[in-house]
Amino acid sequence: MLNVLRLAWLSSVRQPGRTSLGVLGVAAVGALLFDMLLLSRGLVVSFRDLLDRAGFDVRVLATDAAPLAGPRILDSGTVLATIGALPEVEAVVPISIRSVEITSGNAVSPTDRLERVQFIGADPQARPMWTLVEGRDLSTSAGTSRPLLVNRTTAARLQASPGSELSLRGRCGSTSSVLPPLAFTIVGIVEFPFDDADAETVAGQLLDLERLCADDQARGVDMLLVRSKPGEGAERAASAIQTANLGLHVVTNEELVERFSRVEFSYFRQISFVLATVTLFFGFLLIAVLLTASVNQRLGEIAALRAMGLSRWRVVAGVLCESVMMVGAGAILAIPVGAGLSVWLDAILRALPGIPTDVHFFVFETRALFVYGSLLAAASIGAALYPMRIVAVLPIAATLRREVIG
Amino acid sequence: MAIAASIAVTAQRAAGDATGVPPGVLLSRQLMESRQLRVGDVVRLSAEPSGARSRLFRILGEYEPTPDPMRFAQRRLEARLHLPDILALTRPPTEANAPATISSINVALVDPSDADSFARDLAVRLPGTIAVPTTAPNERTSTFAVIERFHLAVAVVTMIGSAVFLLALMLMLVDERRETVGTLRLIGFTRSRILMQVLLEGTLIALAGAVAGLLFALVMQDAFNRFFQWRYDTALIFLRITPGVVAQSLLLALPLGIGASLIASWILLRQHPLALTRR
Repeated sequence: MLNVLRLAWLSSVRQPGRTSLGVLGVAAVGALLFDMLLLSRGLVVSFRDLLDRAGFDVRVLATDAAPLAGPRILDSGTVLATIGALPEVEAVVPISIRSVEITSGNAVSPTDRLERVQFIGADPQARPMWTLVEGRDLSTSAGTSRPLLVNRTTAARLQASPGSELSLRGRCGSTSSVLPPLAFTIVGIVEFPFDDADAETVAGQLLDLERLCADDQARGVDMLLVRSKPGEGAERAASAIQTANLGLHVVTNEELVERFSRVEFSYFRQISFVLATVTLFFGFLLIAVLLTASVNQRLGEIAALRAMGLSRWRVVAGVLCESVMMVGAGAILAIPVGAGLSVWLDAILRALPGIPTDVHFFVFETRALFVYGSLLAAASIGAALYPMRIVAVLPIAATLRREVIG
Repeated sequence: MAIAASIAVTAQRAAGDATGVPPGVLLSRQLMESRQLRVGDVVRLSAEPSGARSRLFRILGEYEPTPDPMRFAQRRLEARLHLPDILALTRPPTEANAPATISSINVALVDPSDADSFARDLAVRLPGTIAVPTTAPNERTSTFAVIERFHLAVAVVTMIGSAVFLLALMLMLVDERRETVGTLRLIGFTRSRILMQVLLEGTLIALAGAVAGLLFALVMQDAFNRFFQWRYDTALIFLRITPGVVAQSLLLALPLGIGASLIASWILLRQHPLALTRR
């Protein structure tokens, strides 16, 4: 076996230019293949991580419409009490998101579209779904009149910091514009997991949101976030809520991820599949052509080796090893190249509007590395088949004669 | 005036329930198919998830939703109602006497070039109103600009891979002619003449390759579109090879092919004729 490897190695280094170009070609193709494998599941993995980080594993909605795009849950108090009483449920938190406008502070001109921000109303005592960056959270702001959290974008635009005052007016129903604005005190600056780079989001108590949208109370809350009890799991909690027969749509994080993967994110999965297939075929073609041409140029030499006593399998195995060496070297080189390339491609795609800042399109998984290795190994073997056949059926005497005459 | 409504709809066959003449509604092909409805059927629509406060409508026709690249992965379960009907259907009981609200108004200007100034005037005269020319950049255009950048980046990487592949291939092809080139040099052919021949040959090969690639792409275009149209149940065209794309491909492929053959030949021609003939 060592002799076979040595033969393959010597054949490769004898033509360093060609071998280097082959390795470089495989590296370029491999880098793209590696990136497409990262892309195929990257968004789903990243989205699942984002959902899990919020600390809730079940979401309850009025219908199966996309979250925050469908009707709201009516009579939320009763629903909340019913779900909260279930033995499988540890906590249930209502969430409402409404549009509000800033009527004071360093807000820009009244005609500016950025004057409106998204207000997330949440239970101040529940575990927050955001990350505190500066100041205090809602739960530790007892005694503060109408505490408010703002994200960095809003804070930067308003030049606000914890302690600043802000007046907000709801833009929830048709009569919102005639309701008086309410004064809030900014208690902290936070990062919201689902914010995109330009999003202006604030969060406050659900009660305050109801006051801001006094004309909109009957419309209920947008979503209930449920955390299952440890040991029970999301599936059992979701099943218990469904059994309670509240006429609501219950979805676990897994189901939500599966749905997004199937519908919203499917474009990137499809495009990565197409590009990965094309890339792999291209890599296969590259190696097959290089090896075939290389073997064709060395037919006389191979026939001489066979005539000197080298067995058929050893020469054939040498061609296979040559292919594996070339692909292996290119594949190893492709990983750092692909990693760098994925950072660049990720930065391009993350400029898409509405993409949360914590979501990435290219996410590394050990599984991707395994699939990458398997695909390239298959390609290297497949590409070597034809040149191996040429070597295996090579007529020794006729080839040597042709070589001498030529 | 009809507007597209993305409301929670509970549609069911309700023929015979009608007491008067129900207002007309158009349903998307996808909704008709998923609920096995036919033109002339009477359906019950409601904006409430529970189906409360529903109203009867007669299906006047079926339509194919305008393909929307932003929503191609979503099933287009849609209905088109007359504006008074949708307002009556969606207005909450608590707002029964409140003024009607609509989400947007489309305005056709006498002179479309006035769109920007009209939008500015409107924003000043009606504070809180957002007026945007339809040609203004929005989320949709920026989405496609990003996707285009992504595809361009992938194309650049593919081109680099192709260039390396091509160079390796040309090196081997030229190397096969080592002795021929050496002989030609020995009988008096100049380097530039041999290079010109290689250049011509490289151009022809690059042209043939580019044309073959374009023909392959043209054949695949139809298969690609058909597959994705079937996969997503849409009339959207995913791939279209335009004259611009053809020109772009030729402009990239030809210099690449010619360049690869020139580089490979020059590497060989630099050597002494005797070395080429292995003497």
